[in-house]
Amino acid sequence: MLVDFQLIERAQKGDSAAFNEIVLVYRKRILGTITRLIARPEDVEDVAQEVFVRLYFSLDQLRAAEVFEPWLHRLTTNAAYDYLRKQRRRQEFRMSDLSEQQVVMADAMAGGKVEHDQLHNKKIREAVDSLLGAVSEADRVLLLQKEVEGLSLKELEKIYKVNENALKVRLFRARQRVLKAFGEREKREGPG
Amino acid sequence: MNSNRGNGEERLDALFRAYRDACPDPEPSANFMPNVWARIESRQNFTFSFRRMANALVTAAVALSIALSVYMAIPHSNPNYYSQSYIEALAEANPLEAPDSVGPVHLELTDPGR
Repeated sequence: MLVDFQLIERAQKGDSAAFNEIVLVYRKRILGTITRLIARPEDVEDVAQEVFVRLYFSLDQLRAAEVFEPWLHRLTTNAAYDYLRKQRRRQEFRMSDLSEQQVVMADAMAGGKVEHDQLHNKKIREAVDSLLGAVSEADRVLLLQKEVEGLSLKELEKIYKVNENALKVRLFRARQRVLKAFGEREKREGPG
Repeated sequence: MNSNRGNGEERLDALFRAYRDACPDPEPSANFMPNVWARIESRQNFTFSFRRMANALVTAAVALSIALSVYMAIPHSNPNYYSQSYIEALAEANPLEAPDSVGPVHLELTDPGR
């Protein structure tokens, strides 16, 4: 836990300063998680802010301060999932829009010269993003939480409130689909 | 086949690890906190006005129900109407002078064989 229970309880009682402190402590971690879940740098802050707004309005439903982190993770997962669902609806529009935006962002970051590392990272992000297109948004989020965020099955169980076996089956199937897409991609482009 | 699959699994794991490194936790912008509070306030305002509107509607509905109950409770009947029995009311509506309704019925019994 990055904050103590008293701080959470104070925030639950409506203490704005306590809530502010919680946001300050967790915002970077939440931004990182969302960055990896949605892979759209320009929308990460927006989704993260939505997470904290939802947290503010649902804090009174939190029964015990001990489960705060899984609770926050659940809110993050839901917000990312909602975002991805909306994204799919306007995917065609966004795809053309995004590629342009990414070019502009990369140019701005490197002052007109895209550096090698950034280009490499961008390629990896795009590759994973494209591979995860083989699974649903819900499975994408689940898979990333397990494989990239490194959450254990126990932690995922708390977040999703389903039993471990059901999670294992879902993860296995999702991973198999991604693996198949990965194999096809390697065949097309060659390994590496 | 299995070793290919195993290699694929390993390479996929490596790709996920590389993805983790390619997406480090970003620094929040300076506007992050002000924007969070602005969103909270705007949602609170919306909730507040919605609640106020809902309260006004509930109050109006309660007032209307009370008014209707009062209206229904006040007797609006004609006192003469209920002071009569059904027979009396019927007799009044069909006076004895009306032969069609109160006169004796004459049955003509004819023998169709004759």
